[in-house]
Amino acid sequence: MSALSQTEPAIGGAAPPRPLPPALWGVLLVLPALAMVALFFLYPLGFSVVSAFRDGDGAWSVANFTKAFAFYGRDILFTLMIVALSVAIVAVLAVAIGGYLTLGRNTTAVAILRWLYRWPLFIPFIVAAQMMRSFLAKNGLMNAMLVNGGVIEPLQAVSLLDWRGIVVTFVWKQTPFVALMVAGAMASLDRSGIEAARDLGAGRLRILADIIVPQVRPTLVVGLILSFVTMLSVLSVPMMINPNNPTMITVDMAYRINAHGDYGVANALGVVSYLMAGLVAWIYLSHGVRRGAGS
Amino acid sequence: MRADALAWIPRGIVLGLLAFAVFGPISNLLLWAFAEKWYFPHALPLEYGFAFWERVFRPRSNAMESLFTSVIIALSTVAVCLAVSVPAGYALARLRLPLRSPVLLMFLLPQAFPGVAVYINVARIFYTLGLNGTVAGVVLVHAVHGLVFSVWITTAAFAAVDRSLEEAARNLGASPLRTFFEVTLPMAAPGVMAGAVFVFLESLDEFTGTYFVGVPDVTTLPLLMFNASMGGNYQIAAITALILLVPSVGFMLVIERFLKADVLARIGH
Amino acid sequence: MKPSLLTASVAALALAAGLAAAPLRAQTVLNVVTAGDQNMVDYINEFLAPRFETLAPGVTVRAAGTGPGDAGSQKIYEKLDAQAKAGAATRDMDVAVIHQKMAGQMVKEGLLDAYVADVATGGLATRDSVRNALGADVTGYVLPMFHSQIALAYNPDLVTAPPKSFADLTQWVKDHPKAFGYNGIKGGMSGVGFVTAWAAAHMDDAAVLEKGPYDAAMKPAIEKALSGLKAFNTDVTLTPGNAGTLDMLNRGEIAMGPVWVDMFYTWQADGRLNPNLKLALIEPGLPGQPMYYVIPAGAAGADLARRFVELATGAEVQAEGIVKRFNWYPGIDAQHVRAKLDDATWNRLFTDVSPEDLAAKGKPFPLAPYFTDILEAYERTVAN
Repeated sequence: MSALSQTEPAIGGAAPPRPLPPALWGVLLVLPALAMVALFFLYPLGFSVVSAFRDGDGAWSVANFTKAFAFYGRDILFTLMIVALSVAIVAVLAVAIGGYLTLGRNTTAVAILRWLYRWPLFIPFIVAAQMMRSFLAKNGLMNAMLVNGGVIEPLQAVSLLDWRGIVVTFVWKQTPFVALMVAGAMASLDRSGIEAARDLGAGRLRILADIIVPQVRPTLVVGLILSFVTMLSVLSVPMMINPNNPTMITVDMAYRINAHGDYGVANALGVVSYLMAGLVAWIYLSHGVRRGAGS
Repeated sequence: MRADALAWIPRGIVLGLLAFAVFGPISNLLLWAFAEKWYFPHALPLEYGFAFWERVFRPRSNAMESLFTSVIIALSTVAVCLAVSVPAGYALARLRLPLRSPVLLMFLLPQAFPGVAVYINVARIFYTLGLNGTVAGVVLVHAVHGLVFSVWITTAAFAAVDRSLEEAARNLGASPLRTFFEVTLPMAAPGVMAGAVFVFLESLDEFTGTYFVGVPDVTTLPLLMFNASMGGNYQIAAITALILLVPSVGFMLVIERFLKADVLARIGH
Repeated sequence: MKPSLLTASVAALALAAGLAAAPLRAQTVLNVVTAGDQNMVDYINEFLAPRFETLAPGVTVRAAGTGPGDAGSQKIYEKLDAQAKAGAATRDMDVAVIHQKMAGQMVKEGLLDAYVADVATGGLATRDSVRNALGADVTGYVLPMFHSQIALAYNPDLVTAPPKSFADLTQWVKDHPKAFGYNGIKGGMSGVGFVTAWAAAHMDDAAVLEKGPYDAAMKPAIEKALSGLKAFNTDVTLTPGNAGTLDMLNRGEIAMGPVWVDMFYTWQADGRLNPNLKLALIEPGLPGQPMYYVIPAGAAGADLARRFVELATGAEVQAEGIVKRFNWYPGIDAQHVRAKLDDATWNRLFTDVSPEDLAAKGKPFPLAPYFTDILEAYERTVAN
């Protein structure tokens, strides 16, 4: 941190070092991006958030939130659990994929994996949802393949089109996203530490867990938070796989608007959704800032 | 040799499972794209053909025009996002900013707050500004949505750049701007480009904002995909998804080309 | 340096996009925006547009879809509402096709043009639904594109004696657990329609749901009517959406379920449903509704829009396009359409459901406030 405050003022020109310029520069550099979000999202969002806090007659009230929790409290919990579980599985798979790409000794296997894992990235959510619906169903393609392959008996075929289907689709779609980020970060690590550990006889799992993952943790966490937020806001996946009780709150929001024209409760659910996302991100940020200050 | 051959057994099993997990659902997509008759009790399509491709590409359906518009919009969105997030990401990673966390949280908002309710208000504002029904308006909406990826990922990328290299460049007399363009930016390039890929894909996946701001003057292929998919028109949805694969994969390959050259160049130094 | 080359080329493309931003309007364009399935966009693009363009040289019809179900109509409303609130001088859509539920609200909020008196075909549709949309007076603002109906689709190989009434169905579901599927209330109108029909079938005074007047004191009676649905639901498969019910019929995971007749025929025509599947209406009836042609107040091409609707609701087009090509029930009165068609085509429309059945068991949806009460009662008593 101290190095920063010595070098940065120089960007401002020949002026003697003062504490203000770096912050001012920072504000100037962030401003265009911030202005875009403020003008084209925050400002219109304002109308929505306001409507969440008003009742039918336009008076201030928390009735929408009361109703949201009374009707959809279970769905809020369900959403949180689905997304948290998906994020956990994505984390494990993404680290495994990134780890093998970095540490794999067989170049053919690494090349195959590199070619293989990214495809879901290019399939939009809505199509992924639709594919999964006919893939994971009881008489779907997966069970047909498994029965034909002799893996299961026809009577053992079950439908995964409940919470499991939602989790499977999210994991399928988001693992490559996080893996791509994590693999990139792993590839740019200094390899000398890894080689040294290897020379000392450390196993690859050990190296991955003790040396690599700690170093790419910031990237991993950013990837996971972005996935968390994305999954929270996707409507098509729960809509197509299981929009019946319990379901995710995006379905409830769409239902409040389309069946009742009820923007109040829908926006209250939107606020709840943002609070969940914001809370997770905030924990990460405050943690990250503290660590930064400590070093 | 023998040990290596044996190692292929677990390796083959794991890769095989992964291939099943990745391509199982995608094979479903491929089958539907060419299926003309497929129903119970038949596990596989009864008839294959190109009838639905013909329907997608009928002159009146404007599929090619929509595809072209979609790609232009996605590329412009990437350009807009990078133009504002590279400086923002650098500032958020490197400069001491007041309210850094709230600012980062703000970029999460468009992604976290489910959009429909907000787009109505966006449309209203855009009608007043005359932005509705223009490509520029759609690009803005997509860019606001994509910013979370580009800002967060560029911030992480700049934060990961080793400061000592920058300081060395400065000590050798390079100007701050030159240091940024010749040391910092190339080193953060993989992250910045990953952000670009996600912004591109996000834009090609978007239909709600496009509807409110673009339709009927600007129509994109994802809109067709959305309608077909929601109505259960599997063939049309599968075909549009396959068409959209072309720009998505293409963009990724182009980016990788640049990245490889860049990474190699760095190793050379 | 290569990244900057990339940035430069991307920026160049962006510039090109900006230049292309202003849509070319060399010709007059008539914008038709439709809720509903992709086949409605196809119908407008492939059938109506070429006919209208020969009728009005120099005009291009451009069709856009907003997606199936009430969500599609909601999006049309939201776009028009945004334009009205922004104070825009004209609307960017000239003709819209919407569901019944939205029509009443849009008339009340002054978003629609009372055009029916100005079109020659205005008198061809005389059903109650051209005046009354779920209890809202829409006289003069709407003309029906086609009429659709919810019916039970079933696989005759697995269901040898299809149920005739809700009581039959309840017994059948008990005997064949999980073989009946419907989509609850959050996944689209075929499920919602089944639930409102259930409520009507289990109430003493069901007529008041359709005819009014609205009485909030009916709420307990509605809850009571739905009380049996919770037990019923334990033996059925809940499907994901209107298309989800058809999807499960496609894979044979359910043997019966309520579907929109027009979607059912589309799925069969597109090879996604076994052509053997059949339709049935049960006592006391299942709801149906028309899709309406409306013209937004302040539409830029209002005159052309009227001529377009006039063409679309004429006997010729209704017979040739709606019935013969797309297998939909006509929007205008049957006798006008019947005269233009041969017996075979006409009868094909009523293969499974006879005209008498349709007249007796094709019901309207309940009045809008009852509708809301039924949905909320379902959420409170059945879903929780």
